Amino acid sequence: MPLTLLGTIKSVDRHAREFMAAMLVLEAGMIGAFVALDVFLFYVFWEVMLIPMYLLIGIWGGQRRLYASIKFVVYTMVGSLLMLVAIFYVYVQHANVTGVYTTDLEALMQVALPHGAQYWCFAAFALAFAIKIPLFPVHTWLPDAHVEAPTAGSVILAGVLLKFGIYGFLRFAMPLFPHGAAEWAPVIAILAVVGIIYGALVAFAQDDVKKLVAYSSVSHMGFCALGIFTLTGMGISGSMYAMLSHGLTTGGLFLGIGVLYERRHTRRMAEYGGIWKQMPLFAGLYLIVVMGSAGLPALSGFVGEYLTLFGTFISGDTFPAEFPNYLPVPRLLGALATTGVILGAIYLLYMFQKVFFGKLDKARNGHLPDLSGRELATFLPLVALIFALGMFPRPALQVMEPSVQKFIRDYNRRVAEPDGPAHVYGRLPTAEAKSIEAGLDQLAQGADRVGSLLKPSGTPEAGFGGAQ
Amino acid sequence: VRFNPGDLGYLVPYLILAIVGMLLVLAEAFYRGRDRSALVGLTVAGSVAAAIASVILYRQVGDAPIALMGEMLVADRTSYVLSALFSVLTAFTALMTPAHQRAHEWQSGDTYGLMLLSASGMVMLAHAANLVTVFLGIETMSIGVYVMTAMRRRSRRSNEAAMKYFLVGAFATGFLMYGLALLYGAAGTSSLLKMQTMLSQTVNPGLVIAGAFLLVVAFGFKVAAVPFHMWAPDAYDGAPTPVTAFMAAVVKAAAIAAMIRVFGVALGGDIIPFGTLGWASPMVVIAAITITIGNISAVRQSNVKRMLAYSSVSHAGVLLVGICALGLGSTTANQSIVYYLIAYTFSTMGAFAVLTYIGSKGRERLLIEDWAGLATQHPAAALAMTVCLLSFGGMPPTGGFFAKFYLFKSAMEVHDGQLLWLVLVGVVNSAISIYYYLRIVTAMYFREASEPFAPTRSAGLVFVMAVCPLIVLELGLMPGWWLRLVG
Repeated sequence: MPLTLLGTIKSVDRHAREFMAAMLVLEAGMIGAFVALDVFLFYVFWEVMLIPMYLLIGIWGGQRRLYASIKFVVYTMVGSLLMLVAIFYVYVQHANVTGVYTTDLEALMQVALPHGAQYWCFAAFALAFAIKIPLFPVHTWLPDAHVEAPTAGSVILAGVLLKFGIYGFLRFAMPLFPHGAAEWAPVIAILAVVGIIYGALVAFAQDDVKKLVAYSSVSHMGFCALGIFTLTGMGISGSMYAMLSHGLTTGGLFLGIGVLYERRHTRRMAEYGGIWKQMPLFAGLYLIVVMGSAGLPALSGFVGEYLTLFGTFISGDTFPAEFPNYLPVPRLLGALATTGVILGAIYLLYMFQKVFFGKLDKARNGHLPDLSGRELATFLPLVALIFALGMFPRPALQVMEPSVQKFIRDYNRRVAEPDGPAHVYGRLPTAEAKSIEAGLDQLAQGADRVGSLLKPSGTPEAGFGGAQ
Repeated sequence: VRFNPGDLGYLVPYLILAIVGMLLVLAEAFYRGRDRSALVGLTVAGSVAAAIASVILYRQVGDAPIALMGEMLVADRTSYVLSALFSVLTAFTALMTPAHQRAHEWQSGDTYGLMLLSASGMVMLAHAANLVTVFLGIETMSIGVYVMTAMRRRSRRSNEAAMKYFLVGAFATGFLMYGLALLYGAAGTSSLLKMQTMLSQTVNPGLVIAGAFLLVVAFGFKVAAVPFHMWAPDAYDGAPTPVTAFMAAVVKAAAIAAMIRVFGVALGGDIIPFGTLGWASPMVVIAAITITIGNISAVRQSNVKRMLAYSSVSHAGVLLVGICALGLGSTTANQSIVYYLIAYTFSTMGAFAVLTYIGSKGRERLLIEDWAGLATQHPAAALAMTVCLLSFGGMPPTGGFFAKFYLFKSAMEVHDGQLLWLVLVGVVNSAISIYYYLRIVTAMYFREASEPFAPTRSAGLVFVMAVCPLIVLELGLMPGWWLRLVG
């Protein structure tokens, strides 16, 4: 956040105070949503994030900002409101089983829902998160929002907001509805792979640099979504690592576009060319960011993508035996996703080549100043982190390891729970218990009947009195 | 009916409103000169006094309702919360009115007397415990508002609006009376408190079905539920803006308050053979189409006043969801409805106050284009409007979000999730509604003004504009406190 503001401070030409206020409210919402362990609280913060982002796009955005801002809000609202209904459902079911009304996530996770209900609840959550990620058929708001948003908005959108989709799956949707997740996993994995390839192909066809990076986001977030639904340690760690890397590299890409846009006020690749000669420092740093995004080994992007793909390949071997066809043809999916890496390298390098190499044939590109100290201060930490994460993945992975292992352990335990009416995990009323219960009911009824026979109308004394 | 003078103590808010209202009507008759500010002061003083009396009495009543006047009226926490709400909102309306009267030249002191008399009818509805008092309250409330709608005598639209409103209202009264008569015939009592028991032993279920259905229709007219909503956009559009605010916020809230008593208490439970859901089965359908049609019609409006009218139709639909939940036995529905009413009425008041504010002398700015660029010229007004609109749309952290949240949660608690699909309809419509509320926000913030604004300035109006959004935000920050007002 401070990096973002530092990097974009100059491009905010009006209402600077309001801009900062919106950014801080956004940050408050994001932090709130990340630390919330209560479904309701999470939902509140999830919605709180919408309004400042809407204002950022709408007030400080580009040409078609009205359209983009409303599209962003309506898309997100549709998804999140259905999630709200699912939250209600879980809330009521939990109360039916335990008698306690609560929205505490830990408590809600104790109750196993019937598989049919899990299917629909997971679908409702998945829609909300899939729109946020964004997965293939519901991704169309993202390019509009990214292109129209101011640089700072794009960076935050790519760097943090999109991660909420993945985070939501890991934290809420999959633990709450493990069986639903297993049933939906093939669909989501296939959509993710489609998104990887489709995003890459569309990115390749763009002339607008910002649109290109926006579609590359669709492609990269596809990897993240694929990774978590492999449900292997490798895949999930890879997905989380890819998110980290995507936040850094795509954020960097957008910042770089902001740097160019401030100088030339165009985002069309055809308008650039030969910039390297004018801005060697910027070009060098940007090359590292681009390579990091394309997944060059020794830079951050590679680690996440490698782990994700590896997880996809082995997911068929490690998954619990109850789901033999959990991910259909994992190796084919992995292979297809790998083409996304190749395509990613192609379009990113193509973009880099068009902008930075070639002849300096546009007169207006002749006098572009190189990075200022302020801009350098935003890029250097990013580049350093991209290097560090690429060279030494161990520390970050070690931090993730225990929680990932615990997640998988818990998930496997939960998903093995047999179907039945809503109940606390591990306490499914078995047929035997049911018959005993039914017997007790009958006994109680019998006792009632005996009791009522013993007590004719009025008190016994009165009855005897009448006989006399 | 035995008259117990001690009961009058519980009805002080009602008495204050009625007596001050009659004083105002007299004062207007003997008043010389054009300046009516003294009347405004008396109106505000009367309604604030009624509100304070309600708060004091609220602190004295316990959880159990107290029957008054031989069970004609009842005093409990809900009734005092609602009567305080109605009184405060009446004071707000009175504060908004003089500025609008000056700007659009319809000075009339009668408005204030009628306003308080109408409010006294609402307070009676909040206390009603008998079919007769329900009827009396609704009529007292409505007749005042019919006249208030027509107050802008030289405006044709105002006259047309009043005529439509009056005719439709008269029809609704007919339905209401007939329905009440049939229910009385079936139950043998007109007391709402005894009705549930009596109806469960009725020998003539046909009468109950017909009576309940007629009541659904009558109240459908009163709260402007689809398909009985046709009058609402024209009446809301034609009435002077402060009166529209009064109709959309307070009158609607009072009608819902009566529904809480009639459908939630008297006809509640599963006593009525009317499909599986009792009277709620037509009501559930009406709620669903009200939310949907209200929203879809609002999307197409270019006039802000009509848009707000349709949006209030759809909010009535959401409130009907709450009424259904209450009738079907959800224990939290009562407090959810009251919370929703508080959030909805203050948002409405605030929105209409801003609408009054931005109109200049002789010219109301009602089209969405007229709002363009408000944020740069009058940022505070734009912010107030935004808060109210976000609350309408159900965005956190405003009161409107928690209102929808609690209401839908109550609906989900109904046995077997019978209202699940209704909640789905409501939730999808919330997403649609965001679109048209944001159209106004978009115009205010993202567009440039074509001409400078010359807003109607008045201290009272600015006060309402400032306080309503604050209350709406406060509702969102401390939802628990407001919810617990009604046990």
